[in-house]
Amino acid sequence: MGRKILLVEDDRETAAYLAKGLGQEGHSVERATNGQDGLFQATDGTFDLIILDRMLPVLDGISVLKALRAAKVETPVLVLSALASVGDRIEGLESGSDDYLVKPFSFAELLARVNALLRRREARLDPADHRISVGDLEIDPLSRIVRRSGKKLELKPREYLLLEYFARNEGRVVTRTMLLEQVWDYHFDPGTNVIDVHVSRLRRKLEDGFDKPLLHTVRGAGYMLAA
Amino acid sequence: MLAGVLALLSNLVVLGFIQWRTHDEAVSAQRRQVVEQGAVLADIHRTGGMRAIGDGIEDMLTYGDPQTAVGLFDPSGREVMGNLAALPRTKGPIRSGYQTALIRFQGQTAPREAAMVALRLPQGQWLISGRTVGYGLELRDTLERSLLIALLGAVLLGLAGGVIVAQYVGRRVGSIVAVTDRISASDLTRRIPLSGGGDAFDRLSLQINEMLDRISALMEELRMVTDSIAHDLRSPVSRLQSAAYAAAKTSDPGERDQQLSSIVRQADSLMRILTTVLEISRSEALTSRSQFAWFDVGELGAELSEMYEPVAEEAGTVLQFERPGAPIELFGHRQLIAQAISNLVENAMRYGAKGGEILVRVSQHGSKLDIAVGDHGPGIPEERRGEALRRFGRLDSSRSEEGAGLGLALATAIAHLHDGELRLDDNRPGLLATLELPMTRRLAGA
Repeated sequence: MGRKILLVEDDRETAAYLAKGLGQEGHSVERATNGQDGLFQATDGTFDLIILDRMLPVLDGISVLKALRAAKVETPVLVLSALASVGDRIEGLESGSDDYLVKPFSFAELLARVNALLRRREARLDPADHRISVGDLEIDPLSRIVRRSGKKLELKPREYLLLEYFARNEGRVVTRTMLLEQVWDYHFDPGTNVIDVHVSRLRRKLEDGFDKPLLHTVRGAGYMLAA
Repeated sequence: MLAGVLALLSNLVVLGFIQWRTHDEAVSAQRRQVVEQGAVLADIHRTGGMRAIGDGIEDMLTYGDPQTAVGLFDPSGREVMGNLAALPRTKGPIRSGYQTALIRFQGQTAPREAAMVALRLPQGQWLISGRTVGYGLELRDTLERSLLIALLGAVLLGLAGGVIVAQYVGRRVGSIVAVTDRISASDLTRRIPLSGGGDAFDRLSLQINEMLDRISALMEELRMVTDSIAHDLRSPVSRLQSAAYAAAKTSDPGERDQQLSSIVRQADSLMRILTTVLEISRSEALTSRSQFAWFDVGELGAELSEMYEPVAEEAGTVLQFERPGAPIELFGHRQLIAQAISNLVENAMRYGAKGGEILVRVSQHGSKLDIAVGDHGPGIPEERRGEALRRFGRLDSSRSEEGAGLGLALATAIAHLHDGELRLDDNRPGLLATLELPMTRRLAGA
């Protein structure tokens, strides 16, 4: 289902590339090329998501973000930035953004995050019942009990968090960086395949003894939980 | 030179003022006194005649001070009464009224300058009363003379001092300028010579020398880093380039996909290198201290060990975590400390995995906190440990492996951000890398 996205980006090439890609995904994209215009359009409040470049002419992204939050505009904001240090990321997140993506990024990474943010908004808008089910997999976030086809699965606490995050993004691609940030709350890039190791462990617990795979690898992007 | 002229001028002004005031005051006071004294004697003569004059002179001689000069001379100029040896000598003939003259006291040979009043009596006698030029005027003369001598001395000393100071300052500043000139000409090896006296110039020179040491260390590091970055980026870039050529040339879609994903991989690894380099310089700039907060390092160590434990297992080793007995609270940057620990753990797995278990230990020693990661790999020989801590200081010269040797440099920069150190020791066998952090309340800039 297409959503309304505001893209505030001064770099013409990046903006065109992103708008085209998001358009192909069925979203309608409005564009602003400086912070002031972006803030003006964003306070309109009818967007489902705002993609905000951090370094903008006239008014920088962080100021736009702070002004938006001060004006009680709660639209999810994804900040794009060429500032890649851990400190910059933390600052970006602390100033009220919902996600922070460092340039350069793959479109797959951006799309995964956009979808996760849109999904979070949906979830916020219509509070569903607590149980999450994906095919024959059932997750109870309150008791943290996971069953597949009625059989209880023994998961370690971190494995449970990983699975819950996958389940909340059912049918959507989740990237390694998203997992590191959301499940472990680390904002640096570990050199090794640490995320892959954890995902394959979780996959073994989910799929061993069952025919149907649940946790899929999406080449060049990340993973996806889908029945 | 200017200072000398100014000193001279101010001396002259002061001297002139003193001269003017003392002369005026001394002369007018003396004159008043002498005139009054003369008036008294004239009065005595008018009312009491010669007999009274005699008593008056007696009184003056009895009660007057040694400066008092008084004498009654007959018309021939012989003294009848008084303390003078002869009629005072004046410029021109003696006349009535106030005048200055040279007088000679009885029993003295040297004449003395005096201010006096002469009174011509009706029988042709001279009644002289006066005062030798007293302490006031003498003092003034002495003062004038001493001041003149002092002035002369001051001017000479001032000039000499000025010349010496100017030469000294010129020489010291000259040596500083000579060095700074060389620095402008981009020679950072020169240092300013110290006199050893510990004066202001020495302190300045010392500061400049220290600044130069720091600058040249930074320049050296910068040069090395730039060289290493250029060198280290060459291989991923050239691999990327050849993959791009191969992808462009091939007609096989499978082959092209493979080359394209290789391009993405190489680009990722380039980005990782650049991000880490950036992270190091950010840490060194201490800007992220504003994000410091309290957290339990033991908890963080446990969390990271749990995260890496399966990775170690896949690599065929065991990762052990030794938890401290109590929480260890540190005021620091949780994310960056996590990254430093993770770098040390990854380093241990990369180089030490084959040697057996890897131990992560968080412990407190007084006001210090140790985060140690030990492996049983080949370790690093003592003389090469300094090199290992530097940016791109990876010890295998091939540089073929990913990782670019920035891990330990970043861990060092993060330790510095927390006013701590990264220490490398022999783990007998293997490498023991320890982040040593002070557990102070707050750091500057935090």
